[in-house]
Amino acid sequence: MSLDYVKFSNGFEKFMPKEYRDMVEHGPFGKKISVSQMGSFKEVLEEHPMCAGCAMTLFIRLAMIAFPNPEDTITVGTAGCGRLAISQAAIPFVYGNYGDQNGVASGLSRGLRLRFGDKPKDVVVMAGDGGTADIGFQQVLHSWFRKERFTTIMLDNEVYGNTGGQESGMTNRGAVLKMAPLGKKFEKMDMVQMAKVAGCAYVATVVPNNPRRVESVIKKAVLIAREVGSTYIQAYTSCNIEYAIPTDKVMEDAKTVENDRYAFSEYISDEAKQYLTERYGYKEFLPKPAAPAAAIPGKA
Amino acid sequence: MYLVADISVEICAAKSCKLCTQYCPEANTILYSDEMGKDKGFKYGSAYVAVDRCKGCAQCVWVCDNMAKNNAIKMIMIDQLPKAALTDNITYGEKSTTAVLASPVVG
Repeated sequence: MSLDYVKFSNGFEKFMPKEYRDMVEHGPFGKKISVSQMGSFKEVLEEHPMCAGCAMTLFIRLAMIAFPNPEDTITVGTAGCGRLAISQAAIPFVYGNYGDQNGVASGLSRGLRLRFGDKPKDVVVMAGDGGTADIGFQQVLHSWFRKERFTTIMLDNEVYGNTGGQESGMTNRGAVLKMAPLGKKFEKMDMVQMAKVAGCAYVATVVPNNPRRVESVIKKAVLIAREVGSTYIQAYTSCNIEYAIPTDKVMEDAKTVENDRYAFSEYISDEAKQYLTERYGYKEFLPKPAAPAAAIPGKA
Repeated sequence: MYLVADISVEICAAKSCKLCTQYCPEANTILYSDEMGKDKGFKYGSAYVAVDRCKGCAQCVWVCDNMAKNNAIKMIMIDQLPKAALTDNITYGEKSTTAVLASPVVG
């Protein structure tokens, strides 16, 4: 939980595997990195067993790059595809029982504040749509109502992809899946609206076909969660297996879905805007200067 | 045998958009080297693939063809690549990486 853990123990340097040495010497720890530098530094995410071409993998990769202080971050997850990759990163990962990730994160976040005081330690929950909107729904909503200060990210693949393709609350109405052969009979849950009602300080929907936007959204969410309150990001991360999307068409699908029904949206509370501006120098929320008075026609 | 992505240095080093490095779902797989293009007299460096980590999804091909419109990436059977980058032969630097190319198929 600090730069101290990202170094070699005395005498062990020469015995460490290449990946670990690269991580210590050329990883993102203690540096300011961005998606524009991708491919030129060692990323915290290592090899993992997620499917080829998975959009969720891409989102997790971008998220790990976007964390403002990876050395001071803990990720919390639950059952689902995402944990297969999230757990394979040089960031401590806590694996909750199915659905209790926001309860675990609440305790963790409070404990870290007691232990480390003002020094920011970020807790980020990354769970699937089943873990967030179905099985973990009660704990997710309550953590938001309590204004627990951590970030919740939903990896929304709109299906239980890990167990063969059952419908989830986030599946679209009418979708036919392997384990939902008659088609889903109910609408997709509106978790974004629920997050706003529950009082989240920052709510965003995003699709991973715009890496810079993903980076910006995650940075803001994590920074706001340090002091202001709960933050929620809902990311469309298609399941190319259960929805039979050819792997080379995953980004095309993301683009289509973004235009069709998953447009980028961002809600920031006034308190969070003020916090980002004053504390972290964000200029986009400053009041716009008044437009100059229109020239009076005929008086050049 | 299986397919892996192969980036044409000649095309990539002329454009150097780096989009494939941002869209590959696998971490530490498509990397960027300043030397790979500049050594051959091109203006920029080039992206390259650590083939031992490539899962062959071809997302980079779609991105290169449709978003960047460079058509620099093709999927090739791994035994048809005479030389390729492998994780063990990649060195990270301050702002770039370097790779010593070797045969990806042993034995």
